[in-house]
Amino acid sequence: MSGLLAYVSRRLAVTFLILLAVSFAVYLIFAFLPFDPASLTCGKNCNDPGIIEANRIRLGYDKPFYEQYWVFLVGLFAGRNYGEGAAAIHCAAPSFGYSFQQHACVTDLIGEALPVTLALAIGALVLWLILGIGLGVLSARFRGRVLDTVSTIFVLIGTSLPTFLTGLMLIIFVVIKWHLLPFPAGGYLSPFEDFPGWLNTMILPWITLAFAYAALYTRFVRSQVIETSTEDYIRTARAKGLSEGVILGKHTLRAALAPIATMAGLDFAGLMGGAILTEAVFNLPGLGRLSLGAVLDYDLPIIVATTLLAAAIVVMMNLVLDLVYAFIDPRVRV
Amino acid sequence: MLKGTKTLKTTLATLAVAALATAGLTGCSAGANVGGTLTYVTFQDSWTHADPQRNYTGRDIAWFGSYMHRTLTAYDRAEGAAGSAVVPDLATDTGTASNDNKTWEFTLRDGVSFEDGTPITCEDIKYGVSRTFATDVITDGPGYAISMLDIPSAEDGTSVYKGPYATEGNDTAAFDKAIVCSNDNKTITFNLKRAVGDFNYTTTYLSFGPVPKAADNGDQYDLNPVSSGPYKIESYKAKDSMVLVRNENWNKDSDPLRATRANPDKIVVKFGVAEEVRDQLFLTNSDPNAMSLDALLPTNLPTVFADDGSVLPEWEGRAINVYDPYVRFAFVNVKKLNCLPVRQAIYYAKDFNGLITLAGGQAFNGDPADGVIKPLMGLDYKKTTGYEDIGTSPNIEKAKALMEQAKTECPDLYARVTDKNRGIVYDIADSETNKKAAAIWIDSLAQAGMVIKFNFIEAGSYYSVVMDPTKQNDLSAAGWAPDWANASTVIPELFTTAGGFNLTQNADDPAYAEFEKLSNAALVEPDRKKQGEQWAALNQYVMDQMWVIPGTFSKTQEIWGSGLGGVFFWEPQGAPSFGDIYIK
Repeated sequence: MSGLLAYVSRRLAVTFLILLAVSFAVYLIFAFLPFDPASLTCGKNCNDPGIIEANRIRLGYDKPFYEQYWVFLVGLFAGRNYGEGAAAIHCAAPSFGYSFQQHACVTDLIGEALPVTLALAIGALVLWLILGIGLGVLSARFRGRVLDTVSTIFVLIGTSLPTFLTGLMLIIFVVIKWHLLPFPAGGYLSPFEDFPGWLNTMILPWITLAFAYAALYTRFVRSQVIETSTEDYIRTARAKGLSEGVILGKHTLRAALAPIATMAGLDFAGLMGGAILTEAVFNLPGLGRLSLGAVLDYDLPIIVATTLLAAAIVVMMNLVLDLVYAFIDPRVRV
Repeated sequence: MLKGTKTLKTTLATLAVAALATAGLTGCSAGANVGGTLTYVTFQDSWTHADPQRNYTGRDIAWFGSYMHRTLTAYDRAEGAAGSAVVPDLATDTGTASNDNKTWEFTLRDGVSFEDGTPITCEDIKYGVSRTFATDVITDGPGYAISMLDIPSAEDGTSVYKGPYATEGNDTAAFDKAIVCSNDNKTITFNLKRAVGDFNYTTTYLSFGPVPKAADNGDQYDLNPVSSGPYKIESYKAKDSMVLVRNENWNKDSDPLRATRANPDKIVVKFGVAEEVRDQLFLTNSDPNAMSLDALLPTNLPTVFADDGSVLPEWEGRAINVYDPYVRFAFVNVKKLNCLPVRQAIYYAKDFNGLITLAGGQAFNGDPADGVIKPLMGLDYKKTTGYEDIGTSPNIEKAKALMEQAKTECPDLYARVTDKNRGIVYDIADSETNKKAAAIWIDSLAQAGMVIKFNFIEAGSYYSVVMDPTKQNDLSAAGWAPDWANASTVIPELFTTAGGFNLTQNADDPAYAEFEKLSNAALVEPDRKKQGEQWAALNQYVMDQMWVIPGTFSKTQEIWGSGLGGVFFWEPQGAPSFGDIYIK
């Protein structure tokens, strides 16, 4: 067990270094972009270099980028203060800075967006795993039969329809034309406050995402199951007189599960960075919308924070997967 | 105001009928029902700003001015030119000027209060105006308080007064001299650094509205501004919604402008609705009591409008297609294109027809412009002359003749403009439509022997790039609408060195000195009719010198549900008459 602990702490240390490098890279990229954040603060009818210059100093953009980066790092542990007098703002540690476009501390913005994306990703993951694995196994089991053909058509449609189109069609038909679901109130509802409302808001986004992913998983599971079922040990199991159900559950699927888990883990991590199109179509205020808006507004503090979060999730997910492997497949030892 | 990504705003219209309209008697919404919930839908994630000192787009000013933020004066709520009349709002009249229009005095009405019932005093308005000076916190708002109030500038050109938040090196005394409150705290006096004959138009800006000092929390005031009007914020969340409910402390008697309006009980704004979903909501009339805050997608226009731009019979009373306040054009960098025949040749070779068709057709995109002043400006507009031989198709023969003339008059520029490796460079925002427009320009100018290249700039940074003289090229696409119904907010802003949006680099042009003299004279001309003629003449001057290549007098389309009444286009704000809308 101590070996495992050492392994995990070593991996966590590497994770920290990766995140440091990512944040530095983001700062570096923005330092060399040909735009001026200070001139954006000056407003429209403004070509007064005096105001722009004064704002550059007050907002700290006059400093070299490595100094700005250092201030960012210190803020992570000590919090940051902006402005003076009645306009003073304090962002408590861990502070990713203050977004003047959104009028809020970035950490708070992330705190609001994360549960939305988490709810979207988890719900969609559950749905697409059930659908993808179920359909994949069935079509492998009944290879060449009607069910297999139907599933092939599903895969074809699912993989070729972009999520924004699926999403739009779902809203326009299910909600606006057929009135099967009420028009969502807009934004996101907490499941702890209004569970039916939450379900109403989330069900179509889940279906949209799950539809695209389930198709990929169906194809993947099908080929995995077919491949495994030709293995010698499956023939042995069959020769021992085990029922088809037991063979499938205990032997075939178990072996196919490791690569599926890897794929699901990484897809989930990717979604946690924000399903931008799905969030935009369904007006979900998740991480994807937050990042997209920040990029369009040149809102550097948010871009740094969301990039770091996405990187952290991917790296952490890899670590989790490596650990989970050991349990799924006894041959793997960390 | 310039037309850009985050930038809009403004106004226009004529003053002709202004004198006829008086406060309290204006187009009241007779027969309007009281009650119900009015819903607005937009694809935007939030308001650009809700803070009165930061409101600058016409739409935002119209919306917040109708429901929440009161100012000293306001535009009348009437259709057509009558809407451009200035009427008293918080003030008892439209102000008294003295000292050659350098001192303006307004007296507050009795019974005006904030949403918590506290009376609004002169000090509250003074505090509100002071926030404009905190340019690092209160961003994006109009800078008129800074440019007009009699407060000296520091060495770096910024005001010596830095707003209410700054703690050091701040000359508060200078501000206290510029705005003076009477002993009873009811009369406010503005001391200006130059004569401003129409200062009571400037005070229609919400930035001249009151803010209670105790509630001000700087940047975050944008999320929870205090109401002085008939509604107050119940909740506001970006990417979600805003809910306004009735302000119980609003005193009807103190607000003749809004007393007979303010009909719905509740007003809801839904943010972040995908554009195609938003259009479908209206095309299917899903929520009859809803109104779109955005223009329709071009692909959905034929469902609602006929080819000539008129509303189809089944959509009568639910949609409008009108001129917005903007004029689109391309600034000519006179320093680089320093030869009149070349500039004129570009104009003659421009394919108006092709460009307008690309942008949705004349019925929706607008008409070819003949200058920078729109006909809706009434007094200030006169059709420009000298280019009658330009139709909607390019006049290639004339363009060629002008280029022949340029060959001898300015051989250097001629050589560059006809050189396929150099040519003319046009700055334009990077968009799909603009890329297609580039092809039309390249083709039509090539017919006249000119070479044009395009510098596509990311939309968000477009203006910050072209406003930098070291980066600006030969032509720069732009749009502008007057800040109020006077071309004093157009001609000097766009073409004098003191203007906020002069991209012509015309300071060294031989024709400039005379132009500036005429413009300054027009600025202080007390006779409004004569001033109008002066602006029209200066518009002609700009065309004679070809400091801009005219584009279009642009149009906009609005759509709403069948359950709403009282909707008309409020010309001075270039937005629907939000405050007059009621549930049928």
